[in-house]
Amino acid sequence: MYLRSLNLRHFRNYTEQSVEFTAAKTILLGQNAQGKSNLLEAVELLSALKSHRTSRDRDLIQTDALAAHISGQLHRETSGDLELSLTLRANGRRSVALNGVAMRRQVDFLGTLNMVQFSSLDLDLVRGGPECRRHWVDGLLVQLEPIYAHVLQQYNQVLRQRNALLKTLKRENDRAGNLFDRASTSSSTSDSSSNSASDLEASSLSLWDAQLAVAGSRVIRRRARVIQRLIPLAEAWHRSISASTEALTLSYLPNVELLEDSPEVLQQTFLDKIRSRSTAEFHQGTTLVGPHRDDIEFTINQTPARQYGSQGQQRTLVLALKLAELQLIEDVIGEPPLLLLDDVLAELDLTRQNQLLETIQDRFQTIITTTHLGAFDAQWLDASQILYVKAGQLVPEEF
Amino acid sequence: MYTRPLARLIEHFQHLPGVGPKTAQRLALHILKRPKEEVAALAQALLDAKQQVGHCSVCGHLSADPVCEICSSPKRDDRLLCVVEDSRDLIALEKTREYKGKYHVLGGLISPIDGIGPEQLNIQALVRRVSQQSIQEVIMAISPSVEGETTTLYVAHLLKPFTKVTRIAFGLPMGGDLEYADEVTLARALEGRRELE
Ligand SMILES: Nc1ncnc2c1ncn2[C@@H]1O[C@H](COP(=O)(O)OP(=O)(O)O)[C@@H](O)[C@H]1O
Ligand SMILES: [Mg+2]
Ligand SMILES: [Zn+2]
Repeated sequence: MYLRSLNLRHFRNYTEQSVEFTAAKTILLGQNAQGKSNLLEAVELLSALKSHRTSRDRDLIQTDALAAHISGQLHRETSGDLELSLTLRANGRRSVALNGVAMRRQVDFLGTLNMVQFSSLDLDLVRGGPECRRHWVDGLLVQLEPIYAHVLQQYNQVLRQRNALLKTLKRENDRAGNLFDRASTSSSTSDSSSNSASDLEASSLSLWDAQLAVAGSRVIRRRARVIQRLIPLAEAWHRSISASTEALTLSYLPNVELLEDSPEVLQQTFLDKIRSRSTAEFHQGTTLVGPHRDDIEFTINQTPARQYGSQGQQRTLVLALKLAELQLIEDVIGEPPLLLLDDVLAELDLTRQNQLLETIQDRFQTIITTTHLGAFDAQWLDASQILYVKAGQLVPEEF
Repeated sequence: MYTRPLARLIEHFQHLPGVGPKTAQRLALHILKRPKEEVAALAQALLDAKQQVGHCSVCGHLSADPVCEICSSPKRDDRLLCVVEDSRDLIALEKTREYKGKYHVLGGLISPIDGIGPEQLNIQALVRRVSQQSIQEVIMAISPSVEGETTTLYVAHLLKPFTKVTRIAFGLPMGGDLEYADEVTLARALEGRRELE
């Protein structure tokens, strides 16, 4: 797919800017804090309706403006020319449109523009907490199966509600000064007239348990499926980049074990685990079981990657993951996604740079940000469109 | 910019749902242009509505009488009961003119985040109604959000010992809202209802 142009209005530090992408590779060149990453962020928003840098739309809207507008002209081999547009408002309301038609549900918009993003922050995939890896897999899933955005949102909503209920029950229990015994309060719901308020709440907890298990199982099964497909790709890329000196293994560590690929079995395992942790949940007043506690483990030569080796080796791992992501999206979508490289190329050594560039060639439209061109291969520079970014404006060349 | 009483009026309008600063200003300036009698009538209507409209003692729908028109109508089928979140949804269903049974208004959905548990809702009265009358079918017409789903399951669980419980079919699984569904969609949803296991 090919993003022909991008238009920004009151987005971050851009007041009004259009960009035509005239080559398969575009280099955004400029000093720090000029708006290079902001531009990539606009593309990310058109793709995922989400930014990895902020969850508050207010941050995305230019200071003192009421609304930000992003639109893009995309060409897809499968569906031709498409116009995507997104309006963000200070009051938090958003609107999205595809070819000028407003979309009421975001799932109808997601998955139109596919991209893989690679920035220096991605080292957090190795070094950061489990939530970094969950976000990564979730972002990939939304691109491959847009309905997953809804699946995940439902799970998170059930989780928030259940946590609120557990907190209330804990508070009431602490006040009553007795040890909570769940079995005695959640048994009979049909006899409502004799139930106290807190019994009613406790009996509704079992409904939230059931909802958590249903919604959570959907999340787990989809995560397991995508990771299963990613494993051989990432491991192969890693072998190739490290010239077979290192062996990467990647495994999904779901909080609720996936014993066999059946929703019913998984839901039952889920409920059993909730039951076994119910005392701890009451003491802590929060949900301890479910995919919000999943992790993904990377090992290199049988050692957890976090503890293994140098920053360079960790970069190799992240690069392998990104290349695997690129390949998987291409396999599933049937055409190459965009690649956004934020400051990352200069951080790779020459061998890894070449590996990446060889893979990209001209097939993947690539937008690269950098503060200087020194690290780039000359041939490569010739084939690229270079745009100079300065204080929220683009100029064709640096003067 | 605004003289005190005008500023106060604008501020009150702004607290209304769906009214922003611009609309609030327009409404306030409009009020000032109207004859005094008309404004007095509006003010009186506001007070009357607030003072006189309460909840029907049977179903919980908004009503100026102790028992609402629907509950007291001999033309409505006593054997059918439709459970809705609030009066807005009841009105939306009434507009379809498809439904001839009676209603029960819960007054909200179970939502621990907002401090709403089953005991805050009009559920005990519903159980009493269903256990004491001969009702053949209770239709759950609740939006399929996470909160709506939990409330539906909760109520269904309580009512099942007494009667058949069904739910309306939603064509919009993605947080479809009853209030915004058009009449044709709603009528179809009502028709395609299914029994809850
Ligand atoms: N909402 C906003 N309104 C105006 N300027 C903003 C907004 N958000 C960020 N900026 C500005 O954008 C600049 C950072 O842009 P960024 O794209 O991250 O820089 P870089 O070119 O280093 O990648 C900073 O100068 C910051 O002040
Ligand atoms: Mg940057
Ligand atoms: Zn009534």
